Amino acid sequence: MAVWGFTRKRTLQFLPFGLMGFLAVLPFFVDVDASFFAYYLFLSFCFVTLGQGWNIVGGYAGQISLASHAFFALGAYTTALIWTLDPANKFFYFNPLLILAGGLSAAVFAFLVGTPLLYRLKGDFFAFGSFAASEVLRTIILRWMGFTGGAHGLSLPADFFTTLRPHYWAMLLLACLSTGYVLFMERSRMGLILKAISEDEVAAATRGINVLLYKVLAFVVGGFFIGMCGSVFTYYLLMINPQSVMNLNWMFLPILVSILGGKGTAWGPVIGAFVIGGVYGYLELIGGIHPMISGALIIVLMKYMPQGLVGLMAHMARVKGA
Amino acid sequence: MYAISSWGQLLTDGILYGLVYALTAIGLSLIFGTMRIVFIAQGTIVVFLAYISYWSYRLLGIDPYLSLVIVLLVGFSLGYFFYRTMFKQASILSDRISSLLIAVGIMFFMENLMTNLWTPDPRAIVTKYAFFSLKLFGISLTLTRVISLVLGVLCVVGLTVFLKKTYLGIAIRAAAENPEICRLMGINPHKVNPLSFGIGLALAGVAALNIAVNYSFDPVYGIDIAVKALIALTLGGLNTIIGALIGGIMLGLIETISTYLVGAGWSQGILFGVFLLVLMFRPQGLFGR
Repeated sequence: MAVWGFTRKRTLQFLPFGLMGFLAVLPFFVDVDASFFAYYLFLSFCFVTLGQGWNIVGGYAGQISLASHAFFALGAYTTALIWTLDPANKFFYFNPLLILAGGLSAAVFAFLVGTPLLYRLKGDFFAFGSFAASEVLRTIILRWMGFTGGAHGLSLPADFFTTLRPHYWAMLLLACLSTGYVLFMERSRMGLILKAISEDEVAAATRGINVLLYKVLAFVVGGFFIGMCGSVFTYYLLMINPQSVMNLNWMFLPILVSILGGKGTAWGPVIGAFVIGGVYGYLELIGGIHPMISGALIIVLMKYMPQGLVGLMAHMARVKGA
Repeated sequence: MYAISSWGQLLTDGILYGLVYALTAIGLSLIFGTMRIVFIAQGTIVVFLAYISYWSYRLLGIDPYLSLVIVLLVGFSLGYFFYRTMFKQASILSDRISSLLIAVGIMFFMENLMTNLWTPDPRAIVTKYAFFSLKLFGISLTLTRVISLVLGVLCVVGLTVFLKKTYLGIAIRAAAENPEICRLMGINPHKVNPLSFGIGLALAGVAALNIAVNYSFDPVYGIDIAVKALIALTLGGLNTIIGALIGGIMLGLIETISTYLVGAGWSQGILFGVFLLVLMFRPQGLFGR
């Protein structure tokens, strides 16, 4: 039994790498631009990154952040703004530095907003505060017409878009990086500290943990990943305005993805992302009534499995084992 | 700089507009207080009930103030139904995010149900007496607004009396104070909770009538009301009716005055900025304990 369990664990360890390789070479066999499946995968990778970004702060550190849409928009706007300085330059199309800059600007925002908020507020109040800060940012974006283009936003040169392939790979890379980071963090000192903070903040503080530092760090790292995701998504949208990149969906989706999959677990958001990606991608084909179905789906899933899909699987494994 | 009468008008408008937020916030406060559910779909319910009032006026010719009876009944039964079918298990969990997500699901569902059934066009009830107005100290007030004000005040007073004086009201407050001890005292939370959920959504019905008669609404307007009501609630202090009321009116005033002074685009930012400042320096809210 023990030997069997050991080998089974070993095969499971290689499964993610196999899957990753398969997804990475998929564009060579499937026409990415014609296939809806590839679009679905692209969307799912995006959701994985968003979900992991929220998972770090919401799942591990236990601080409910409602600022994801601000991070996403900051990533998108940073990329778009730098590019619009010289729109003809091909250099800016999928420049890793630009994507990093998108993530960094979101991280800086997370640091500036997160430090005072996390210093003063807990629980629901932190959630409301992060939301309010994001809405202030939305007003600034809307009103600073000369810089951000206001409600009309920024249009990027669309003729650079020839194929979805680079988007696919860039998003896959981000999804792998964020999941990899969470896996690494889970086993590191930081993961343990964040778990301790989410369990009992006071007890963690008495153990000499700088609670504020680690909460802000989680918020910043989460924001960094969501910002990079927004940056890559910019190359797909090419029309950057508050309605498209600061839509409240970008706030709900990361939460939905990581709660549905199972928050505070590394693989939960991945599973959640592929489910939600399917709901969002495929139900669009049905037409107008699809948000109703996704609404009903959220209700049913949350009612019957509040622990998420990972929790359900663990439960089933326990039942089977017992 | 500005004439007294225009300031008076501005303040009246702000208070009347704030009343919508206040009534929604009081409903939210009841639901949050007893069940710790952040019921983000409250605004969408307001819009749904406004539609009910609208259609009963348009199709059946029922006066909007008479349709309040229908709206209150529908609101109450919706609340009862939501609790019984969806929130019963989730409200016990210490993890409140799953109940929040159920509320988000309800919001998505109802928003799109309304958009599909009744098109996304904005609607408003225009009655025969809608333009009847009276002037008081240079402030013009339409009759419908006066009625809304009276209705709102009646609701707040009625609810306060209900919560303070009746057995059921005391049970609801006890459940809000401490659910565990409440259970020890022989109060079944599953009996109290659906009632307070129902009352919370019935209050949304009063706000809905206010919107339908005085302003206009469309299916996706709900999230805006819900977010503002949530802010009003936090601003005034969770768990207090008077806090939610004053928070809502403050919000209405801030919005109206800042729109007048610096333009509509900035008012949202100013509103959230004030909210952030209050949150930073008085996290328990202005009237919270």
